[in-house]
Amino acid sequence: MTTTDVRPSDVEAAERPNRAKAQDRLFLGVTRASAALVVLVLLGILVSLVIDALPAFGNFGLAFLWNERWSPAKDIFGAAAPIYGTLVTSVIAMVIGVPVSFGIAIFLTELCPPMLRRPIGIAIELLAGIPSIIYGLWGFFVLAPFMQTTVQPALIATLGHVPGLSLLFSGAPYGIGLLTAGIVLAIMVLPFITSITRDVFNTVPVMLRESAYGLGMTTWEVTRHIVIPYTRRALVGGVMLGLGRALGETMAVTFVIGNSHRIAASLLSPATTISASIANEFSEATSGLYTSSLVALGLILFVITFTVLALAKWMLGRVETH
Amino acid sequence: MSLSARRKRTNRIAMGLATLATLFGLFFLGAILWTLLWQGLGAIGPAIFVENTPPPGSDGGLANALFGSLVMTLVAILIAAPIGVLAGTYLSEYARGSRLGEAAKFINDVLLSAPSIIVGLFIYAALVVPFGHFSAWSGAVALAVIALPVINRTTQDMLALVPNALREAAAALGAPQWKVMVFVIYRAARSGILTGILLAVARISGETAPLLFTALNNQFWSTDLGAPMANLPVVIFQFAMSPYDDWQRLAWGGALIITAAILALNILARALAGTRRRS
Repeated sequence: MTTTDVRPSDVEAAERPNRAKAQDRLFLGVTRASAALVVLVLLGILVSLVIDALPAFGNFGLAFLWNERWSPAKDIFGAAAPIYGTLVTSVIAMVIGVPVSFGIAIFLTELCPPMLRRPIGIAIELLAGIPSIIYGLWGFFVLAPFMQTTVQPALIATLGHVPGLSLLFSGAPYGIGLLTAGIVLAIMVLPFITSITRDVFNTVPVMLRESAYGLGMTTWEVTRHIVIPYTRRALVGGVMLGLGRALGETMAVTFVIGNSHRIAASLLSPATTISASIANEFSEATSGLYTSSLVALGLILFVITFTVLALAKWMLGRVETH
Repeated sequence: MSLSARRKRTNRIAMGLATLATLFGLFFLGAILWTLLWQGLGAIGPAIFVENTPPPGSDGGLANALFGSLVMTLVAILIAAPIGVLAGTYLSEYARGSRLGEAAKFINDVLLSAPSIIVGLFIYAALVVPFGHFSAWSGAVALAVIALPVINRTTQDMLALVPNALREAAAALGAPQWKVMVFVIYRAARSGILTGILLAVARISGETAPLLFTALNNQFWSTDLGAPMANLPVVIFQFAMSPYDDWQRLAWGGALIITAAILALNILARALAGTRRRS
């Protein structure tokens, strides 16, 4: 009897390439499915928000967007006040936060002694690590009383009499409100804008910088005429990224905004934002329409932040190092 | 004033303002940490770690909330870490030129900064409503959704740092692709990926908004993941907004614990990343 004498190990060896291919396909499939899940999460968020927001938009139509009235007792809801509060607090945050962030980035890249560069950079970045609820706590117990007793009376006494500005700084000093929320947000976006600004400042070729210094420019002139024009697009991206953060920030604002569904001209008055309304009212919403209106607010926020963040991403390219 | 004097003066003013901006930023870090220590240290004692959240007017601690936060963070990371690392692997290693890859990269970067309260609404609709009740599971999944983009992005960045020669050398030995990844590339990028996971833990352990209407809160010690579970952020929120002094004191104690833990994680992650860079 002739046997071909096939040993098990030979079979294994012959099948090995096939098995390896199958395993590779499996590995690739699993990684691709994981990546697809990221896309699915976004779609899931969008679909669930749209479905749950439909009753509100069905009931109030697009007028939901510009109607100010928010009356849970009568089941009438309009998004104007939260949208207004969201935009105004974010604008205040940007007006304060952007120049300060740029200043810190200039200090870190141009002025700071090399020995201090790392520790100061890390300290500023640690601001990003502090959870938003801590900012809320601090804003409510430390900043708001200080605003009420010191800053706001001073603003009312001075800017409150300047024609034009008087509208923005009128009323009683409540401590909480649009301005306080905007300041807390400004502190919160500092580390994000600073770290991107610093990173893009560092992408400027040394050659450009040194040629400019060689021509006798001062540090400020180099920054103003060489560094900033060179990095303009990415800088705008960094600012947009900070704006996206500020628009969606929830807990810190919830503590200090005052939760009032009214549009008042004064920056000192209590107001509400989209995220603060949802955080405050969602678990207490009694009617289906109430819940749906809050989700509709969420959908509006999602659309706004997605647009802003997508623009930021597009302008930054892949410079951002996180 | 001569031109050069004016230019020098402008420069001095601008640089003075930049220095001032830095002091401004550092001042707030100091102010916040100082307030936390000053208000929080008084509340920290053995009781805060062993007793449960009290009804107003009596003594108690935060044991159930600490436990709840630990459990939900752990579950969230166990869900998010494998998916995030695998997704990061696909996007960094296999996705070149693929439409899914481009879309997923873009969307992941947007999700990185997306408002966390929206994630809460999504999980409420996806997990709380269908099951009919709030639960620690839904809270953990909400946290996982927030951790996922962080881990995904750091994995991509860290894998991109591994030199191609390593992949080629391993492949030249006849190793199948998945073995190259798991036994060679992951090892090379290990400390970087771990850094990403630590940063994700730091990010989610202070998150409040996504837990408000998923895990909710629980006054009692609970180990049931199918039921509402106490957690530190929501307890801090509730207690801080209450009119009761002892509740507010506990809120400050909790705030100090959570911030100390998160800053420690941040510094640990940095140290890990630092050792990798040096070696």
